[in-house]
Order: sequence, then C-alpha cells, then structure tokens
Amino acid sequence: MTLTAVGESRVNGYLFVLQRSLKTFLPEDSVRDAVREIESHLRDRIAAADGSPNEREAVERILAELGPPLRVAQAYSAERTIDEAITTGRLVPMARALWHLAVSTVAGFGAALAVVIGTMTSLAAIAVAVAKPFFPNNVGFLMHDGDVVPHTFGGQFPVPAGEHVVGGYWVIPFALTGGLVGLVLTYRGARRFLTWWRERRLS
Amino acid sequence: MSRETWQEQIRRGTLDLAILLSVSSGPRYGLAIIQHLEEFTDLVVAEGTIYPILGRLTKEGLLESEWVEDEAPHPRKYYALTRLGTKRLGEMTTAWRDFVKKIDRLMTASERPR
Repeated sequence: MTLTAVGESRVNGYLFVLQRSLKTFLPEDSVRDAVREIESHLRDRIAAADGSPNEREAVERILAELGPPLRVAQAYSAERTIDEAITTGRLVPMARALWHLAVSTVAGFGAALAVVIGTMTSLAAIAVAVAKPFFPNNVGFLMHDGDVVPHTFGGQFPVPAGEHVVGGYWVIPFALTGGLVGLVLTYRGARRFLTWWRERRLS
Repeated sequence: MSRETWQEQIRRGTLDLAILLSVSSGPRYGLAIIQHLEEFTDLVVAEGTIYPILGRLTKEGLLESEWVEDEAPHPRKYYALTRLGTKRLGEMTTAWRDFVKKIDRLMTASERPR
C-alpha cells in the first residue's frame, strides 16, 4: 500500500507524539534511533498492507497493533530508565528515572518529593558541619537564653538577641554523621522505591 | 492473584528468552522478530513494546544491532546474538527445560491418587 498525503500525515503525527514523549527521559541520540526503528517497522507494515477496506482503517489497524505512542514511550521508559537506574545504581540514571516517574505518576511524585527533602536536609546538615569552624558563634544548636532545649539546628547571622549557640565543636561530627547517614538512607530509599516500581510493573 | 496477572507474569518472564531464541538462527530485524514470535507464541501483546526490550538486551551486551540501509526502501535495524548472548541463551534454555521438567513432575505427582 502506498500512502496518500493524509495517511503520511497520520503516520508522521504518531511518530511526532512518540518522539516528544521519548525526549522527556531519553538522550537525543537514543530518541532518534528509537523513532527511526519504529518508523522502519511502520513502513514495513504499510508496504505489506493491502489498504482494505480503505487506507484510513488500514493505517489505524497498523498503529493499533503497534500500540499507542504513549504506551510505547512508557515501555521504553520502563525498560531503559528504571532498569538502568537499578542495575547501575548511579545517581544520574536514578535522578532521571525518579524525574520521569514524578511527572507521570502520583506515587512517583511523592517519592521524588521525599528524595528531594531527604537530600536537601542531609546536605544542610553537612553544610552546618563545614561552616562551624568558620562561624563558631553562629552555627550549631540555637537556644533561647534560660531554655534547656535547643529550638533550632543550623546557623543565624547574626544570632538574635536573647539567644545563644550551644554544642561547641561536637556539632561537626554530629552534623557530618547525620548528613552522611541521611544521604545514604535517601539513596537506599530511592533505589528501593525504583525496585518496587519495577516489580509492580512486572506483576 | 488473578489468572490474567499470573499469565502476564509468565509472558513477561519468558519474553527475553523468546527474543534471544528468535535471533539464535541468524540476524533478524525488529518486525521479523515480532512475526517470528507471533508465528510460534502469543507473547506479543503490543508490537511497540518489543523494541524497548531489544534495546535493553543490546545494552546488556546480549545482542548487537546494525542498521542495514540497502535492503528495503527504508533502513532496517538487524539484531544478532553476541558471544555473551549465546552463552546466556544456553544457560536460560537449560534453566527453562529444568524448570518445566520439575513443574511437570509436580503436576504428575499431584494427579496421582493418594
């Protein structure tokens, strides 16, 4: 079957949507390769089709057998992004996989939010440890004068009247340990979520 | 677990093996692999979902791919087993046959009157 301009337009529209979807999580060269391969599949199918009962129905049947472009893109996402993240455990693929799930699912959004909060909190604790030697009177546990329990952990520039910093240089190992443990737990949590997601997809 | 879910798990679990088997006799392009699978199995639900699996198997080093430009009016991407893929296919085939034999033995035992 040789396509008319209308049929060509329908096929190009399918490939355009697929390309747009793939671009959100795959590198440019992988997108180009994937779209080229799907187009090759379509051209083979179209060439072998007899165009009955009419071209429109024949093209729609071929596209339906291939699957909606978003579903095909999701399959690429599941196979490449999440599997790569779990297999390698590297930060960039994990961030990419989380980002993709965050913009496409509610559970993914929740997990990504938790990862962002965990990472920022951990990095803030490490920043406190790094800043303490330079600003010993501004960084640490902050207490109101006369209180026995600190109300803030961090830094104040300047320290407000009626408050003072406690904890001394013990703040450094405390914040450093807390920050590093926080980063490890966040990383493990993110990886566990992605593994759960992949198993859920397979079940 | 519903019957559909269980069958879907089996389908997904065996798709890698089926794809590797499809290219074991020689290089095939995507649509030829799909047609081969459709001829012998009902593993292909949506054709488009096979391509990402081919991509993953290539990335894992089990398949190698090559674009052939001059065979058809449009280019086709051919897949072939690598040495690692051949080795893995052998292991998977042995494991699968062993698995089927054991389940079969279990089913035979369960059918036997007590």
